[in-house]
Amino acid sequence: MKEKRNVMLLALPCTLTLLIAFIIPMVYTFIKALISDNLTYYTKFFTDPFYMKIFGNTVILSVKTTLLTLVLGYPSAYFIARTKSKIKNILIIATIFPFLVSAVIRAYGWMVILGDSGILNQFLLKLGVIDSPTKIMYTETAVMIGMAQLVLPYMILSITGVIQNIDPNVENAARSLGANPVETFLKVTFPLSAPGVISGCILVFTMGMTSYITPQLLGGAQYLTMSTLIYSQIKTTYNLEFANAICYILVFAILIFQIVANNLSNNVNKRLGSGKNA
Amino acid sequence: MRDDRVNWFSKLVTVLAYTFILAPMIIIVIISFNSGEAIEFPPSGFSLRWYEYIVTGPTNFLKGLGNSLKVAAVATIFDIFIGVFASLSVTKYNFKGRGLLVSFFTSPMFIPSISFAFVLLRTTASIKMMTPFIKILIGHLVIILPYIIRNTMSILVNYNWTIEDAAASLGANPAQVFFKITLPLIKPGIISGAMLSFLYSFDEAVISSFLTSAKFLTLPVQIINYLEFTFDPTVAAISTILMAASLIIMILINKFVGLDSMIN
Repeated sequence: MKEKRNVMLLALPCTLTLLIAFIIPMVYTFIKALISDNLTYYTKFFTDPFYMKIFGNTVILSVKTTLLTLVLGYPSAYFIARTKSKIKNILIIATIFPFLVSAVIRAYGWMVILGDSGILNQFLLKLGVIDSPTKIMYTETAVMIGMAQLVLPYMILSITGVIQNIDPNVENAARSLGANPVETFLKVTFPLSAPGVISGCILVFTMGMTSYITPQLLGGAQYLTMSTLIYSQIKTTYNLEFANAICYILVFAILIFQIVANNLSNNVNKRLGSGKNA
Repeated sequence: MRDDRVNWFSKLVTVLAYTFILAPMIIIVIISFNSGEAIEFPPSGFSLRWYEYIVTGPTNFLKGLGNSLKVAAVATIFDIFIGVFASLSVTKYNFKGRGLLVSFFTSPMFIPSISFAFVLLRTTASIKMMTPFIKILIGHLVIILPYIIRNTMSILVNYNWTIEDAAASLGANPAQVFFKITLPLIKPGIISGAMLSFLYSFDEAVISSFLTSAKFLTLPVQIINYLEFTFDPTVAAISTILMAASLIIMILINKFVGLDSMIN
């Protein structure tokens, strides 16, 4: 009984804070809007092709970002996990450091590079490759580049962790049994690293769907994602009720995605655990 | 040929990946020292004029810096208090519904910041006592709480609770046990977690830009507003200073607990 009292006392301040500052506002705002407008604004979102397209664009952007970071991240993670050289520590520092740098600063770096009078255009103009600056800013490409750079370190860390736990002797065994390097990778290393790949992809996709600063600074009002659409509904069209609906559509989309994706990843882990796949 | 596992392909991609990660940050540092009027690469000369301009320019960045530090400090200290107790409740004791309570404590992680920012904007709009400082503070202390709790939990999970029993059996009361035994042992981990959370709040711009007012701007919001109208290397100079500060924090954390602890 004393234990129960201790748990309650210790958990109380945190529970109250979360209830008052987080859970109650989130639930209250949702229900209040539902009572006063029914599903008007949700229907508006799902029936208007303009908004559905933005939702679709955000999904496509997140998928592309995930694939790009996976392609760049997996070999890098493999290198970090397996190399014996001293550069490993430098790479780990270079992976962690960006976490401590604001998304605003990192997006600014891309504005400097990709802007109409940015470094890339200055360079291409000087070389004579182009006659007038190419427009990269405020396009899907700019947002994708910024997003990929923002989330790549998460992908690398997530995969490095699992590869480090794969015993190199497993790979050696496959090789000595006659598998070539590609077969070894496809049939041994990659399946064993699947949990890290999946958790990295879930994280990166989620960040792609919900990030605000990067699409705001690199996409602006010309290339909208779900989060910048919310902002534009508040600041330019003053449609708070509609912004409210989009906010909760994003919340539920992410929650459903997380539940489905985590179930999938648990299944993969189970299969790996029982050795059917390995 | 023993090391053929790390082949040319993974080496090449690693070079590409880290160029991609680091290039924008390195370029920012280089252009911040430019002596010319605009953003030029390579710079036309070396000067510290843009660093001077941070202070002498029309935007009072120092005020924003002060505001950001204030919010981050209060939010982190508040969360350390409630977060350490909450982490104790779910690691020291084993009870039914423990997993559920952990999910509850870390729930803000699963909600998009933008949605929470909007909800805070609406729910606090009609409350008179809510100054922009309090609104942003509430937002920040909610979103950094999961990180403090996860960090503290990861320390406590590896903590040897029998030490507490030993202290208690030698006559220490529960408060003495906590302050003289438990706290000193978990302190390095908590401090490093606190530094990371502090930095997270300091850099946070989603909640801040929704709940801000002209009277109370945080530094990241000031930078965003500045970029809307001016595109000179001033922001590069500010960014370079902030990145240098982040680097110092990273070195400190490495000294306290090692960088491995940051990977989770």
